[in-house]
Amino acid sequence: MLKVLIPTIMLFPTIWLTSPKWLWTTTTAHSLLIASISLTWLKWTSETGWTSSNMYLAKGPLLTPLLVLTCWLLPLMILASQNHINPEPISRERLYITLLALLQTFLIMAFGATEIIMFYIMFEATLIPTLIIITRWGNQTERLNAGTYFLFYTLAGSLPLLVALLLLQQSTGTLSMLVLQYSQPLQLNSWGHMFWWAGCLIAFLVKMPLYGVHLWLPKAHVEAPVAGSMVLAAVLLKLGGYGMMRMMVMLDPLSKELAYPFIILALWGIIMTGSICLRQTDLKSLIAYSSVSHMGLVAGGILIQTPWGFSGAIILMIAHGLVSSALFCLANTAYERTHSRTMILARGLQVIFPLTAVWWFIANLANLALPPLPNLMGELMIITTLFNWSPWTILLTGLGTLITAGYSLYMFLMSQRGPTPNHIMGLQPFHTREHLLMTLHLIPVILLVTKPELMWGWCY
Amino acid sequence: MNPYRRATLLCSVGLGTTLTFASSHWLLAWMGLEINTLAITPLMAQHHHPRAVEATTKYFLTQATAAAMILFASTTNAWMTGEWSINDLSNPIASTMFMAALALKIGLAPMHFWMPEVLQGLDLLTGLILSTWQKLAPLALIIQTAQTIDPLLLTLLGISSTLVGGWGGLNQTQLRKILAYSSIAHMGWMIIVIQYAPQLTLIALGTYIIMTSAAFLTLKMSLTTKISTLATTWSKSPILTSTTALVLLSLGGLPPLTGFMPKWLILQELTKQDLPIIATAMALTALISLYFYLRLLYAMTLTISPNMINSTTPWRTQTTQTSLPLALFTTAALGLLPMAPAILMLTT
Repeated sequence: MLKVLIPTIMLFPTIWLTSPKWLWTTTTAHSLLIASISLTWLKWTSETGWTSSNMYLAKGPLLTPLLVLTCWLLPLMILASQNHINPEPISRERLYITLLALLQTFLIMAFGATEIIMFYIMFEATLIPTLIIITRWGNQTERLNAGTYFLFYTLAGSLPLLVALLLLQQSTGTLSMLVLQYSQPLQLNSWGHMFWWAGCLIAFLVKMPLYGVHLWLPKAHVEAPVAGSMVLAAVLLKLGGYGMMRMMVMLDPLSKELAYPFIILALWGIIMTGSICLRQTDLKSLIAYSSVSHMGLVAGGILIQTPWGFSGAIILMIAHGLVSSALFCLANTAYERTHSRTMILARGLQVIFPLTAVWWFIANLANLALPPLPNLMGELMIITTLFNWSPWTILLTGLGTLITAGYSLYMFLMSQRGPTPNHIMGLQPFHTREHLLMTLHLIPVILLVTKPELMWGWCY
Repeated sequence: MNPYRRATLLCSVGLGTTLTFASSHWLLAWMGLEINTLAITPLMAQHHHPRAVEATTKYFLTQATAAAMILFASTTNAWMTGEWSINDLSNPIASTMFMAALALKIGLAPMHFWMPEVLQGLDLLTGLILSTWQKLAPLALIIQTAQTIDPLLLTLLGISSTLVGGWGGLNQTQLRKILAYSSIAHMGWMIIVIQYAPQLTLIALGTYIIMTSAAFLTLKMSLTTKISTLATTWSKSPILTSTTALVLLSLGGLPPLTGFMPKWLILQELTKQDLPIIATAMALTALISLYFYLRLLYAMTLTISPNMINSTTPWRTQTTQTSLPLALFTTAALGLLPMAPAILMLTT
């Protein structure tokens, strides 16, 4: 773990001391090196549980895929931001990359934490760099509102979580996940305990986001610059999922009844946000709502608390992270050329950008969960386990799959097919950097088809 | 002001507080508080501006009222129990009056109304002394008598202070008033835990002094008193805008900055004492204050305001103010959270 954490911390002097000519090359190369080192974590030495050389930071089948995704994403974020940050003064460029590296450090420490309070502090700590990235480097006036919504929704959920964790510490004496997995099941039988149950989960449900408390997400994703959108969609939402998976272990048997409203909200959210996607005019907003839809499925899978549910949730989280980030990169390429997110302004692109049309195609197919891509694996496992829990859910999840296919195809057809309007005939061709970015997103998705054991957690 | 006069007055302010620290007799404590008030009055009015004189008058009246109430309460206690010692405060009437008087002295809600107006009339350095040093003597007395005061009163004072501190600051554009409401809110956090773990009150006070000093010294360095002038500080000192942004988030209590430490420890103590609802309520009221800190953050750092700026490079000229205290306080306001075990050990 330190093999990756210390180089990430040493990125800060690297960023500030490199000469301006080599800044982007150096940071991309170093973060790519760190990402390759993190790939070595994928060979784990024990079947279940944690692998750790110390008591405070550990890796295991549940969180290693998320850690690798986080490390993999930093070079991609730096690659994606190169174009729009380059015109700024050099110290602001350094500051931007510092914020990305800071976010990376906090995320590694959050995912690797074995003590729940450490996870909580790092979970909250990721808010500050993200807030600064969204509000300082976003492009429209709405970014201020977006930052406020983002910060306050997340904090309103996580402050009760802090109190709930302190209550847990008081009753069990420890908050180390290594110890808590062996503790006695808690006697949860009163109204107060029900509030405690809710307090434990609301923070993660807001972060995921669950349908009723999802309003921060479209604002934050749309107003953030591309690196902000990427990291939000790919990793920060997964913090919520990961936190929920860790906390659910301790929350039985109350979860059998109390999870009902949240599962219903999650499933209904899939349909509602999917339908909203079909009516969006803003490309990034469409991808943001599609994120809510997929994460609703993940939330449903986790709240069910079955082995297939958890496995499906992790697989869908990893696959959705890569694909959603890829879609945001593609949307950003359109934005950088037309300076607008409106979909009808950047349509019929297949004629002028043929290779990019391939990336759009693959990303949209992955988004709609085409077999054999891992998105389908995850969705199918979650849909199956929900069907096992209650057969009626197939109506909602099946309809949701249909609507997902609908808006993914809509996105593809709107942006790529159809007549190319005259005003975009003269757009700049795609850079190699952008093609590299897209391959680095999509090749892992395709490769994961061949070895899904890397992703599916402890349940197999 | 004549430097000799200023030195004498500052030493008297220090003497008053130290006298109160060292006292075990209520009359000596009262005398220390009065010396403190009398000495700071000319310091507050030194600029002879009508607004400053008004602030001084308000401050003097409220503090004198509080001191008179302390005198009255101590004589009541002496009459009822025959004891003048600070630690032996057994009469409930006397102890409640003491708490009300000391709450008036430090500006706890609902006795907070003087605080924003007084702070607004002062210059920034005197305002800093008012927010930090002047709280020490009354808090010392409160810590010593906390065990005998009605727990309900302390809890009510705490919660209403955090609520008032949050809501009152929401409509302000003057920075000194915002810092006054922030002071009220932080005092609320300090009072709520005083009956359970006084060392956490000291930690909260220590971190509050560090963060407030960083905030006041930043405003003094960039000579801003309103949000609209705050928006142009990026041209005066760009690094200051970045670090003050983090100081503001620290005041709001966001991890992993120092301001999170007292909130975390206080919430932990409250949950240990089986008061999770009060803990949740306090935590959520901190969100209200965070809103106006966030507004300051937006104005100062995250947006470039469309104000008319005559030149964009005033940062090239060196400032004549000393920057070492600001640097120290800012660093401490940002990085002390990992040292929480050491700080806990120091204060236990």
